[in-house]
Amino acid sequence: MADFSVRSDSVNVEQIMEQIRTRIREKRGVDYTEQQIRELAAVKLEKFLDPRGVRSDLLTQFKAQRAQEPVEVPNFAFEDATLFESHRGPIQWLRKLLLPILKLFFNPNPLIQALHIQSRLNTINGERETARRQLDALYYELIHNLVLEATRLGIDVQNLKMRLESVSSRLEFNERRARALESVVVYKPSPGDEERPTRQDRPDRGERSERGERDRGDRSARHQSHPQSQQRQYTPPPPQAAAASTPSAVAASPETAGAAPATPNPQTPAAGATPAEGPGQRSRRRRRRRGRRGGGSATALMGAPGAATAPTPESSGEGSAQLPGEEGEPFDDAADEAGGDDQSVEAPPAMGTTATHHDPPAEPVQSTAPPHTSSPVPAGDTPQEQRSAPPPGPGNGDTDPQ
Amino acid sequence: MKIAVVVQRYGSAINGGAELHARYIAEHLARHADIEVLTTCATDYVTWRNELPAGVEPINGVPVRRFRVKHERDPRVFAKRSERVFNQRHSFGDELDWLNAEGPTSPALVDYVARHAGDFDFCLFFSYRYYHAFYGARGAAGRAILVPTAERDLTIGLSIFQPLFRSVRAVMYNSPEERAMINAVSHNEAVPGVVVGIGSQAPNSTQPNRFRQKHHIRGPFAVYVGRIDQNKGCAELFDYFETYLKDPAGKLSLVLIGNSLLDVPKHPRIRHLGFLDDADKFDAMAAAELLIMPSYYESLSMVALEAWAVGRPVLANGRCDVLKGQCIRSNGGLYYDNVSEFLGTLEALEQNRWLAGSLGRNGRQFFRDHYDWPVIERKYLDMFARLSKEAPRPAADLLPGWFDRRRQDLPPAEAVLAQLPTGPAVPSYEAAGRRRA
Repeated sequence: MADFSVRSDSVNVEQIMEQIRTRIREKRGVDYTEQQIRELAAVKLEKFLDPRGVRSDLLTQFKAQRAQEPVEVPNFAFEDATLFESHRGPIQWLRKLLLPILKLFFNPNPLIQALHIQSRLNTINGERETARRQLDALYYELIHNLVLEATRLGIDVQNLKMRLESVSSRLEFNERRARALESVVVYKPSPGDEERPTRQDRPDRGERSERGERDRGDRSARHQSHPQSQQRQYTPPPPQAAAASTPSAVAASPETAGAAPATPNPQTPAAGATPAEGPGQRSRRRRRRRGRRGGGSATALMGAPGAATAPTPESSGEGSAQLPGEEGEPFDDAADEAGGDDQSVEAPPAMGTTATHHDPPAEPVQSTAPPHTSSPVPAGDTPQEQRSAPPPGPGNGDTDPQ
Repeated sequence: MKIAVVVQRYGSAINGGAELHARYIAEHLARHADIEVLTTCATDYVTWRNELPAGVEPINGVPVRRFRVKHERDPRVFAKRSERVFNQRHSFGDELDWLNAEGPTSPALVDYVARHAGDFDFCLFFSYRYYHAFYGARGAAGRAILVPTAERDLTIGLSIFQPLFRSVRAVMYNSPEERAMINAVSHNEAVPGVVVGIGSQAPNSTQPNRFRQKHHIRGPFAVYVGRIDQNKGCAELFDYFETYLKDPAGKLSLVLIGNSLLDVPKHPRIRHLGFLDDADKFDAMAAAELLIMPSYYESLSMVALEAWAVGRPVLANGRCDVLKGQCIRSNGGLYYDNVSEFLGTLEALEQNRWLAGSLGRNGRQFFRDHYDWPVIERKYLDMFARLSKEAPRPAADLLPGWFDRRRQDLPPAEAVLAQLPTGPAVPSYEAAGRRRA
């Protein structure tokens, strides 16, 4: 509620209420009153009883049936003396007197019995009709209530969908924010960090080269199936690393590896001036990120200044980087699964600056010439750091397009 | 000038809205005129049992004359007659029977008013819905001024009160909404009337920290002041506030002040402090972030005015036209119609301190402009002066003839009420035409 446009003491309550209602509509969907739900349900009932959908005159009949009052037809009582009754006493007496004579002409008993049965049938039918009407009213109420509830549930489902969307977008935003914050905290270079890698680098070399050998073995088949990646390994190295520019040396030797990770350094003008993305460039970047799951540290991927210190397991213990396939991998997975598209790898707007700085790791792959060949070496981008940077070989995965 | 204040109950310990209203008016007008209060011996508005002695006693310097109630209310009979007049087609006589069943049936009070009306310049009748106002105004024809304290409930739809609204000398309304409603139901526009309301005894300075220390309350809180009753919307308030409590972003607690007729939810952030004296009440309001008024029916919310008097915003139930109108006119509070709006408005007031502060300031200014005691007293005195200059109109008898009383031609009260316009009486609503219910 921090974005009210009313910014003066002369507040207008109606205006504020309108803004609050608008926000509620945006946030939770439309809130219907009981009356509105009833109206909606009535509309739905008519839709349900749409003549085109059900029967040509069902709706009319249904309404007419509800509207019409039951016709009160008086029943008659027919007993054996009914035929001869009269409000005049003498006539009734005369009829009784002449009854035997009448019976000489025909037998009235079957007629009397038939009409008596008919009278009883009329009574029974009337009772049944009354019960049926009451039942009809109950059915109607039941249907009406069901439609009402169905309408209410439909609205609830709609609102829940909107809330789910809202929560999903919040979750996505928070994930992106967390990623951005994490990268800022982890990869922000400090003077101590700049010194550390060189000290730690040397004892690890044997292990790293050994690991590089192992990784090379593991991934050789994969690289064979992707000749493009192999071609990229033969990309001319930067002049600083030109002495070790053979492909195998690039893959194995840490000293020569400094060239490639140094290129995405956001401090360099080339990285800072990110060229406009061409068509398909985003998807390529995404594919590269997926490829990094198999190799390449997050530090190297993000191309931050501290990235050069990251690639070994030892350095990851300091919280500066993680090995591929360890904690860093689920993170990537989560990111890809949460977003699954280009949006998921974009930095949140609030962290846009940071994200932009970390975005260019893909650039060295796209550009054949390393940035620092055409730009002055930035502060911190010393040859020493370049030597301690991870090799751009298979073990790193930075150049792996997969 | 001699004024009679006629009210159903009266006393220092009686805190009903209309009764308190009458007491405040009597005590403040006593500075300008001779006031005598005429009331019953009852203190309980449900039974109207005679609990105080008949006779005269002074209360806060105002003489109070009490009369016995003839019979207590029989709830069964009252319910039966209410069902008849509210929901069925009925006669004028049925409504009179309902009035007798409602009480407080005090023929002695009515007789005294009829016999001594000439001794007073004006008789102020409080609460149109009771026996004393209907028959008393008939007895004091030409001197009767009505303070209806009408709410939007079924009673306003009864036909016996329409001639009452037309026959009195003047009507002192509590709010524009009440005036619009009574005009619509009785067409008494010709009767002099003014929207007055009531002032408040708000102290000049409050001590919120003292209240917090005394009751061990920390953190921001919203306060509700009044009877904790379902009829006051408290059940709905509890539902809504429990929903609010589920939001971890919300930090407000709810503090309840008043006697409870309803179970208060057990939650660490809902505190019930019971009945507090005025000093504590105003300190609580000053310490609170806002006041919540969940009532559906109000003719004038004194509590809301008191909150505004100490500069606190109000969150009112938007289904009460009066409260909504007050909030809009004062720009001193927000209102809600459903749980979403309750949460939204509460969140807005909680998170935007400038908004809460501005609303509180507006409310305070609104209170000073319209409900400060000098303003209220002046409106009464002006009305007395105006009526003194005008000749009284010949009053028509409120009671029809024998046959007319028995004709079953009156519509149910709920049907009449449904026809009355709804919505707050504010320009934006007036322009759009107040909607029909």
